[in-house]
Amino acid sequence: MPIRLLSLPDKDLQYALNCMDICDLIALSLCSKQTKNFAKLSNRYIEPISVQVYDNYVRFEIIPWDIHQPIIPITFLASSDSRINLDRGNGAELWRKRKFTQSDWIAHFLSIFDESMIDELVISDFCPISYLDNVKQIIPKCGTLRIPRDCSMELTKAAILKLAPLAEEVEVNKNIFIDDISLFLSYNLNALVIIDRITPLKLELSDLLVLNITDLTVVTANVTGRELNRFLKLWMKGNYTFYRPKSIEFQLNFGMPVNCEEVFKGIKYATVDNRRRLTRADGKELLITFSWIYVDFKFL
Amino acid sequence: MSSTEQGTSSAAPAEPTTAPESAAAPEVPESFYYVHGKDKVVHKVSAGALQHSALIHGMISNLGYTEEQAKANPFPFENIDGDILQMVVDWCNQHKGKPTPPEDTNLPKQKEKLFDLVLAVNYLEIKELLTYCCKQVAMMVKGKSPEEIREIWMIPTDAEDEAAEKEAKKRAGKEAAGETAAAAGDAK
Repeated sequence: MPIRLLSLPDKDLQYALNCMDICDLIALSLCSKQTKNFAKLSNRYIEPISVQVYDNYVRFEIIPWDIHQPIIPITFLASSDSRINLDRGNGAELWRKRKFTQSDWIAHFLSIFDESMIDELVISDFCPISYLDNVKQIIPKCGTLRIPRDCSMELTKAAILKLAPLAEEVEVNKNIFIDDISLFLSYNLNALVIIDRITPLKLELSDLLVLNITDLTVVTANVTGRELNRFLKLWMKGNYTFYRPKSIEFQLNFGMPVNCEEVFKGIKYATVDNRRRLTRADGKELLITFSWIYVDFKFL
Repeated sequence: MSSTEQGTSSAAPAEPTTAPESAAAPEVPESFYYVHGKDKVVHKVSAGALQHSALIHGMISNLGYTEEQAKANPFPFENIDGDILQMVVDWCNQHKGKPTPPEDTNLPKQKEKLFDLVLAVNYLEIKELLTYCCKQVAMMVKGKSPEEIREIWMIPTDAEDEAAEKEAKKRAGKEAAGETAAAAGDAK
């Protein structure tokens, strides 16, 4: 004999919802718009969602803050828009919701846990380049687009081109920018992190001048003191009034340390809290933290 | 512990049982009150057991009933089925003066009874029992799919919700029109 849950007094209904596992609450949220709202109102918290992109499918886990609750792995298959596969610890289950697309599913999960975006989107080396367009449709927005080291050069470049606009930060774990770093540095991105300790990224003055990324971090970079000195002199002259970057951070190659005197040769600066402050004629300031293997420019 | 009596009419509640006297120190005799549900069957419950119910406890404190007055005027709970009130009284008796355990396995297994019990317990303001009942309600759908949950908890679909909303609006419109017509008639 069923009972009319929604006829319970509000307080009791809310208490009953609070007693539910997160996976049962997700199941409830899919029953109707009203139950979705109830699920939202129960204010459950989950760890930020990390989505992995595999061979024609995406997968993520719902990880409750409450460590006593089970983690729920969820898989979207490429060919099945209205259904998801999940495992609540009792074997695989298939849930369907009529007219739901994969992006609707993602939006539903984000909504019931009051998350504004997917925290992390990780591309695996199995992912075919053609599937990136589907990913773009499924994931509306993400915090970090992470491209691991084992992805091919073609996949990495394609992923940056297609998916970087969705991300607040792009992290590339391999230096694939041998000939075309200037092209990638000219993209309108919020943040780009390039990490490769084996093959340092070679940067020249021209690369720094075309930079259109707000925050650039390179670990490790191969840049000479002379190039940095030329860049600083040009910046001081005020030729780059509309220079977009706010932060440039390099970890330098251990084998090729940069000479501090060479970097600041002919440049006027003030020392403030172990940092050098350069002030341009138009009043703009640049704060530089410098050591023999680390350079950090903050444009104020 | 108090006894619970069934099948007696409200006019003739049973005499309270006398508390056994301790050889060392005589105890103060416990006071008893009487409640009845929809079926008019009177249940005799000790004041200690009734302390679980904030509603009844408040009524006792405010009314300042003597035992004789309480016997003559059982608290009427016409909105609670007799068998449900019996469950509540039994629970209050079982947990009288005891710390409440984290789980209660004596709750009804039938779902419709559980639902009525939640409503009754909510009305009587028995916090601990309400907590158990709500947990039991939540457990009903453990591991179930959305479709199964919809069936168990009788959750209407979006289309049904929309239809019900339309119907309610229609009814409200008709009622408002009726009231306006009646007011115009009165004015004439």
